[in-house]
Amino acid sequence: MPLDDEAVAEIYREHGPMLRRVVWRATSDANRVEDIVQEVILRVWKQAPEADNLRAYLITTARHLIVDQHRAAGRRPQQAQLVDVAETDSALDRALDQVLVEEALGRLQSNHREIVRYLYYERLTVAETSVRVGVPEGTVKSRAYYAVRNLRDILDEMGVTR
Amino acid sequence: MTTGPDDLHALLGAYVLGGLSDDDHRAFSEHLRSCRQCQTDMGQVSGLPRLLDLAGPEGGPHLTEAPVAVPAPLLTDHDDERVTTLLAEVGRRRRRRRTWLSVVAAAAAVLIFAGGAWLGPLLLTPATPTLPTTHVAAAAVAGSQVRIDIALVTRGWGTQLDIDCEDMPTDGELALWVIDRGGKATTAASWRATTTGYSRVTGATALRPNEIQALEVRTGTGRVLAAART
Repeated sequence: MPLDDEAVAEIYREHGPMLRRVVWRATSDANRVEDIVQEVILRVWKQAPEADNLRAYLITTARHLIVDQHRAAGRRPQQAQLVDVAETDSALDRALDQVLVEEALGRLQSNHREIVRYLYYERLTVAETSVRVGVPEGTVKSRAYYAVRNLRDILDEMGVTR
Repeated sequence: MTTGPDDLHALLGAYVLGGLSDDDHRAFSEHLRSCRQCQTDMGQVSGLPRLLDLAGPEGGPHLTEAPVAVPAPLLTDHDDERVTTLLAEVGRRRRRRRTWLSVVAAAAAVLIFAGGAWLGPLLLTPATPTLPTTHVAAAAVAGSQVRIDIALVTRGWGTQLDIDCEDMPTDGELALWVIDRGGKATTAASWRATTTGYSRVTGATALRPNEIQALEVRTGTGRVLAAART
């Protein structure tokens, strides 16, 4: 039994903005974003999945739609003939994972996010980060611990399992 | 800075992200060899650096101060408009499904009728479907545009009422009333109006289909929107 209108609208309001960001960043095609996002929600409406993890389900559905459209475009005669579908798929998968990782970092609590930024991306030491942020080293360590745990949870929730 | 044994578990984060002093790094490496919990945790998070690398050398838009280059139409808040578009499409697909279903139902009815005419004389007891269902289209009263289809499904406990309505009021409460042969009316379902005017709900009554004289859909204030006699 498909979902009722209220349920569909609620899913759309809650997850639409995230889906739009993800699809836009993965396709760089503003014209297709809303179409893909609406199609994702329509599939959820039709299938009414009993998914424990709706976010992962939505993202997986979006991924399939993007990959399918990408393949369909590759089959059009006016486009390049020598497209290696497996190669472009894996490039697309990487692009999607990139977007999802960026999205996950965005969802991290800001004081955890800055720890990831200094320790990982800027290669600062715990001691340097402690000075930069203005908290004791022990706090930097415990924030790093929770940042890593939470980031893993967020990625799991988005269906990024590797 | 050195770390006491109680804090060793917490070093996992900075161990994965980098930045531990040599002493802390050594201390955690040793601890990891003997701590089951940290080994399990490590198994879960050791893949993170590879994923973090996907976000580029600076970790992507949320970590840099540079604004994200998302086209304006995607950022502005057109949610209500988009929800309306989406629900219109839901409605269109729902109607398509229903049309298809009613076509199949009509075809099945023809088959049963033709089969019955042909086999009828040969069979003393015609097979009865497991869930006899009568469809009633409730006629909209004057001044009302609603379209309502009610399926009466015979159940052991009474009658299940599957109500499909379109072009209904978009706010307030709605209710299905059943009126028995004696003229007594009882509520068999009540629901809240939806913004699209479409709703599909199921009600129940202890009455058997042949005991129901009429069905009425009314607003919360008691105004009758549509009525059907069975």
